Amino acid sequence: MDQLQLREFEARCIQEEQPFCTAACPLHVDVRPFMASLAKGDVRGARRVLDRTLPFPEIIGRLCEQPCRPSCKRGEIGDPLAFGNLERYCVSNSTAVLTLPKLPAKGGSIAVIGGGFSAMTAALDLGRKGRNVTLITEAAGLGGTLGTYSETALPQETLAQAASLLERYGVTLQFATSLAENSIAALITEYDAVYFDLDEIEPHRLPPNAGQPDPITLALSCDGCFAAGGIAPGTSAYSVIKQADDGRRAALTIERYLQKVSLTAQREMEGSRTTRMYTVITGMEPAAEITAADPKAGYTAAEAGQEASRCIQCECMECVKQCAYLREYKEYPKTLARKIYNNQAIVQGTRNANKMINACSLCGQCTVICPNDIPVPELCRVTRQDMVRSGHMPPSPHDFALEDMRFSLSEYCTLTRHQPGTSVSRFLFYPGCQLAGSAPEAVTSTYQLLGTQLDGGVGLMLGCCGIPAHWAGQKDLFTKTINDFKTAIKQMGNPTVITACSSCLSIFKEFADTLTVTSLWEVLDGLELPTFSDRSPEESFTLHDPCTARHQETLRASVRSLCAKLGLQIKEHDFNGPLADCCGYGGLMQFANQPLGKKAALVKAARSEHDGLAYCAMCRDNLAAAGSRVAHLLDYIFPSAETGDPLARKNPGFSQRHENRARLRQELLTTLWQEQAGSLPEHTSIRLLISQEVLDLLNSRHILEEDIQKVILRAEQTGIHLVNPNNNHRLARFKPVRVTYWVEYEPTDQGYVIHNGYSHRMLLPEGQQ
Amino acid sequence: MSTFSFIEDTTWQCVGCNQPLQPTKVNVTYLNSLFTVELMACPHCGFILVPESLAVGKMLEVEQLLEDK
Repeated sequence: MDQLQLREFEARCIQEEQPFCTAACPLHVDVRPFMASLAKGDVRGARRVLDRTLPFPEIIGRLCEQPCRPSCKRGEIGDPLAFGNLERYCVSNSTAVLTLPKLPAKGGSIAVIGGGFSAMTAALDLGRKGRNVTLITEAAGLGGTLGTYSETALPQETLAQAASLLERYGVTLQFATSLAENSIAALITEYDAVYFDLDEIEPHRLPPNAGQPDPITLALSCDGCFAAGGIAPGTSAYSVIKQADDGRRAALTIERYLQKVSLTAQREMEGSRTTRMYTVITGMEPAAEITAADPKAGYTAAEAGQEASRCIQCECMECVKQCAYLREYKEYPKTLARKIYNNQAIVQGTRNANKMINACSLCGQCTVICPNDIPVPELCRVTRQDMVRSGHMPPSPHDFALEDMRFSLSEYCTLTRHQPGTSVSRFLFYPGCQLAGSAPEAVTSTYQLLGTQLDGGVGLMLGCCGIPAHWAGQKDLFTKTINDFKTAIKQMGNPTVITACSSCLSIFKEFADTLTVTSLWEVLDGLELPTFSDRSPEESFTLHDPCTARHQETLRASVRSLCAKLGLQIKEHDFNGPLADCCGYGGLMQFANQPLGKKAALVKAARSEHDGLAYCAMCRDNLAAAGSRVAHLLDYIFPSAETGDPLARKNPGFSQRHENRARLRQELLTTLWQEQAGSLPEHTSIRLLISQEVLDLLNSRHILEEDIQKVILRAEQTGIHLVNPNNNHRLARFKPVRVTYWVEYEPTDQGYVIHNGYSHRMLLPEGQQ
Repeated sequence: MSTFSFIEDTTWQCVGCNQPLQPTKVNVTYLNSLFTVELMACPHCGFILVPESLAVGKMLEVEQLLEDK
């Protein structure tokens, strides 16, 4: 990702956009912290917010016409917030908390002509910037039209405070000064820039060649002259906030004029504007405005707190609300992208975001939720690919899953055959590696059904689509895998591929689009299902769509149709279909960040209180591992008395999945095709006795039983191992590829009892592996 | 580079050499980094013991640090 791509990505995330009120405010007061402070009774905190943004908070705070109010999101569920009353409460009950700094003097002399509020604001802003400002008015004091407000609305002392504030910033105040035509002309000559406050200076008193002020820059036609303030053209009422807006805009223009830079560039963020902010209010309780019991006295502290508490603190965070990954790393797409960019830019030093990049499930839920369809998963996946290419991908997050994939593609698990007794295949059943690993008997039953009911020959292929390599950013490995698959399908005479796995389906549709591929569920929906009397449980299920079926509408419809035919009562929830959560396997999340993988499974399981029904083998097993009662759809199409309650089936774990795949191939080959299956490697003959506790530990440490078998085989063959004379346990190690495995075991007549297993990647000296 | 010591009393003995293990300096490596550490090993055949606490503790920590370099 280069900087331009980062900027484009960041621009699509709207979380940092201004909320509706702040955008509508011509001065962009940071309303959310203002309201949050008031809500907790922190008036000084609220005042600090006003002091940071408003010129003369004591004045605006009392008179603001609250142009933000119509855009308040709360107005859609109750009344908009009483911004004006809350500002008044705040400034009436606090003194200035923050004094903005005066920048070092930089020269440039400015005459601010007129004493109205736009003149005061322009003088204040320019004084703060270190300019020499002289405010000249014919009046005896500051304020212009502000002087017409009642003492209740605007205490006169606020204008006196304003005068001393201006003087503190070095502004020279000249009251009761004649501004006849010739004196104005003299001021234009004398000063580098002149601002005319139209609240005091009528248009006919502007220089003869002044023309109309430019609406953006407020510049007049005569060089160095600027004008605004007073009643806006086309309106009839005086607005305090408009005076402040004009004064601030004029000050900025004059600053740019003195710096001799563009007066017009990048000014679209100034003044009242709209925002791209996206805030969902569904499910929020309506709340009516809190009015002051005594309107003359204004809010009490309690009333102000209650009213400010109605602020819904508008933000987007729609993706973060649902995504366990973004919540875990406390990021939203914009901050996430920046961290990824910075991580990739590191030449020397620690790449702290590696784990984060590898932990995204790549499921795509966030993209569907996002009003701008931000592709976080694609960003993470492409970054992984970059990391692999540049040699910066750490080995540990994906090694185990990639070894698992290699095993699924090894001679022990792969099988490609036409239907027994035939030499052509119109169809080819591709169960996918995870169904073969999780429920091999379901593969056998399904294949039998397809072979019986479909005409033209139904071939079988056991293997892996390569999605782990795709997720791991291993482009070369993935490309080779998918190309091998395409070649194999071609050699089978291009049958229609029927896959039971929606991940395989999504991969084939994207990367093997010349092939005809369909889902098992669509095919089964058109076939006659086996009839069993006891297959319809009374209870309702929640159907767990897998994340990889997000964009497979037809597939999802077929699953529901099948459920109806089977008499399974399905309860839908909001985070299914296009919004389905990932179970923690997607993107290899559970390998890069194991605890997060578990959390993701728990989030998916917790979407409903009903028993679960999955049709993705990985969802089924991960949800079961998370403690859910969950069955696989095939459990109800092919119910088996032997396997017991399908809802109570345990997660087989990694070792059992390996064994299931290898055994499935052997069984099918010998029973259906009457072929000799090749012998299994020598270590498979080592008989292990492992308690559930140790098995769970080994699973969590990603140590397979075959790794254990290899260690023991080696130790027993070479006699190289340690022994504990107290209990006769043995401790041995072996490094089959990259990881060194250690096993504490005890030989018995029934086999080897396994007491412990652990591993490391660090290498011991040569000859010690 | 200083030597980190992970020596601890152990009941494990080398079965081939029938020897108790003794503290030994060894070089362990990972991803182009080399560390000299003191571990328990057989004084005769040199079989090095990496105890579980080290493998899942400090060693894992260093591995992950190096992977992110």
